[in-house]
Amino acid sequence: MLDLIVIGAGLSGMLAAHTAARAGARVAIVSKGLGALHWSAGTIDALGYFPDEKTPVSSPLAALPMLAPNHPYTLCDAPAAWREFAALTHACGLPYAGANADANLWLPSPAGAARPTWLAPRAQLAGDLARAEPMLIVGVRGMRDFFPELIAENLRKQNHAARAAFVPLEVITARHDSNSVQLAHALDDPARQLKLARELKKIVQRGERIGLPAILGLDNHPNAFQTLEAETGAAIFEIPTLPPSVPGIRLNDALRRELHRLGVRVDVNMDVRGFHADGARIAFVESETSGQPLKHRAEKFLLATGGILGGGIQSDPTGKTWEAVFDLPLTIAPNRGDWFRARFFDPAGHPIFRGGVAVNRVFQPVNAHGAPVYANLWAAGGVLAHADPILERSLEGVAIATGVAAGKFASQA
Amino acid sequence: MHTTSWHSVSMTLDECIKCNICTSYCPVAAVTDKFPGPKYAGPQAQRFRESGQITSPDVWVDYCSACRVCNEVCPSGVKIAEINARAKAQIVHERGIPLRNWFFGRNEILGRIGNLAPQIANLGFHNPVSRLMAEKILGVARHAPIPHWSTEGNFRAWFARREKLRAEKKVAYFHGCSTNYYEPAVGKAAVAVLEHLGYEVVLPPQNCCALPMLNNGEFPAAEKLFRSNLKKLAPYVDRGLPIVGTSTSCVLVLREEATEMLDLENAQTQALKAGMWDISEWLRERLEQGELPTDFRELQMVVPYHVSCQARAHRMGRPGLDVLMLIPGLDVREGNAKCCGLAGTYGYKAEKYDIAMQVGEDAFRFVRAQGEGVRYVTADSEICRWQLEHGTQKLGRHPVEILAAAYGLYDLDRRQLLAEMK
Ligand code: SF4
Ligand code: SF4
Repeated sequence: MLDLIVIGAGLSGMLAAHTAARAGARVAIVSKGLGALHWSAGTIDALGYFPDEKTPVSSPLAALPMLAPNHPYTLCDAPAAWREFAALTHACGLPYAGANADANLWLPSPAGAARPTWLAPRAQLAGDLARAEPMLIVGVRGMRDFFPELIAENLRKQNHAARAAFVPLEVITARHDSNSVQLAHALDDPARQLKLARELKKIVQRGERIGLPAILGLDNHPNAFQTLEAETGAAIFEIPTLPPSVPGIRLNDALRRELHRLGVRVDVNMDVRGFHADGARIAFVESETSGQPLKHRAEKFLLATGGILGGGIQSDPTGKTWEAVFDLPLTIAPNRGDWFRARFFDPAGHPIFRGGVAVNRVFQPVNAHGAPVYANLWAAGGVLAHADPILERSLEGVAIATGVAAGKFASQA
Repeated sequence: MHTTSWHSVSMTLDECIKCNICTSYCPVAAVTDKFPGPKYAGPQAQRFRESGQITSPDVWVDYCSACRVCNEVCPSGVKIAEINARAKAQIVHERGIPLRNWFFGRNEILGRIGNLAPQIANLGFHNPVSRLMAEKILGVARHAPIPHWSTEGNFRAWFARREKLRAEKKVAYFHGCSTNYYEPAVGKAAVAVLEHLGYEVVLPPQNCCALPMLNNGEFPAAEKLFRSNLKKLAPYVDRGLPIVGTSTSCVLVLREEATEMLDLENAQTQALKAGMWDISEWLRERLEQGELPTDFRELQMVVPYHVSCQARAHRMGRPGLDVLMLIPGLDVREGNAKCCGLAGTYGYKAEKYDIAMQVGEDAFRFVRAQGEGVRYVTADSEICRWQLEHGTQKLGRHPVEILAAAYGLYDLDRRQLLAEMK
């Protein structure tokens, strides 16, 4: 019998499973989809903006004590969890780092805007907008959805020295139409890495750093990155692309490998839709199959299915919202009119995104009276209430901090 | 349980958010420019296939292998593979079916004909000259691993001849065409294991599950076959007899695929869905109920386990693995290749053979990486086993054959029941 079943294979679910497995628990993950990392820029945003404010956060560490007392960050030791995460990425060959000093790092977005983040994979670090070297933004002619001229122009508007250039598609692939993942696979090939390096060398000027779309290899990424830096003699950085996002997939794959190594089985394509409880204890959850529903039994369960965007919280046109697996109590206003502010880009965000499952100090979902709903259930990530990951730019930071915390409490209980 | 969010196939089209994740995982789009990938073939091109439109503009949808990897990874639940299958059906409806695909759809008839004189049929078809001719005239890939007709008679004949176990507990067995005509040994092993569990095995009348027709766009003919099976199996479903199948792709078609693609859902199809099992899935259920005997012999060997795309499409986990892991000494290694490439009848087609072999390379590499000493590979679908044998020169075996060997009932090498060996 398993000790713990984690429902959800996103960042929070994987970190919860990892933490519990490291503590010696027998853990499995069941998940409907592959998790949101496939859309993610691959960076760890901890806190970019204060809730209800336009002001950017310069240091998440300094800002944490200023958050509301029910914010998930105040329930756990977020900085320690982020450090653990960074150590884990080093151990699995995809090292992450942040800015020096306890400040947010500012990196160029796919449109050339500045975006705050806390930790970034090594291949994005040289994009740090606090650095002075001029940037050469290189696109691949024929690649869709990556526009170096636009990026360079927007960077110049923000007073960063930047210019755009192109390399031909044939350098990377003989195929005519490829998306970012297919191009990254092509660049797993050392011969193509060298070919690209030679092209870059022709166009780069002394002292420039080179920004490229995030396609520098998938399985063989470290080698691709090293080859390009070594051969061009320039600092190289990746700029995330529109989904599917290669840096997010790399992180996903690295964590999955690590889970595999720890003996954590991950089953995706299992839509958990029902459960059975004996009194206050959940006995099993059920997922949908082509035949009869499949029962998954364990001592404990951990919910990491995401929020309203991830599918953990469902809604219908009548304004009904419900938590998708256990129908847990939600903090969302019953009246649909209270979900949104009038303007789409309202700086104060939309209340619906702060809604979710409330938890106690050990990350167990609670009812309106603060009592745990089930004795053997924990929750982490986007499904939790009282954070607005989009407005705060805290999606990955919350996923990691609460995933580590919930995984720890669940394995200790 | 919450009410299911079952969407009709075409309804799911509007849920596509254009994220391209499906295209990133499609094993066919990864190796060829001839197929632009699921997003374009499915939700995108579907907009141009409205009813009343005269011709479908996209013949390349034919390059979709129907492996369903796209469905699995799509975050929005778009039934891309089904959309593609319907598009193929529309093309067949408009332009007729190529003779070769017509033959592939009727593999049951081929099975029956070959079965009349299997030695002659094997000799007649499986020689370099006829295979070359078949490629030139029909477009059947000359090197593809097309199975040989069984020379020991078909499975049903064997079953009718033998002394059966009579018991209170009964289970019905759906063998499918391939077990009946090409690999009766799989059926023999299954019957031996089921009887070892103390079940009497009954054999319902049955016909081809219609998978080859569904894959080749012959929907009206596929519907006939499906309805016929529905009728033949109904008495067993009504009596509450579990129906187990060794061909995981047949089980998938009968439980879900046919109903979904042909829009046939009703009380009867739902009863079949609930009453039918993949054999490993059913054995795992027995294990959970504490009914699975564990009198295993030690099997000291490494066996690579390829998870067939059809097995994954069941969303039932990896029951074959769960059960094989009980066998002492056996080191079952699970691969993560997406597809073996053959995918139904796809890799048999001359213009697709190379694509199928390139797609299969991940699976072949995984098998080879498990070492020189590996003798057998296992997979739940016969198609994958044949393709893996072709690509790696190992012997393909169904998990139930390995289980039968571990129960001391079966010779894995000769594919014979020990009780029947002299
Ligand atoms: S079914 Fe397979 S081959 Fe067809 S589009 Fe989907 S992933 Fe590609
Ligand atoms: S994965 Fe699904 S949602 Fe994304 S492009 Fe493909 S069909 Fe559309």
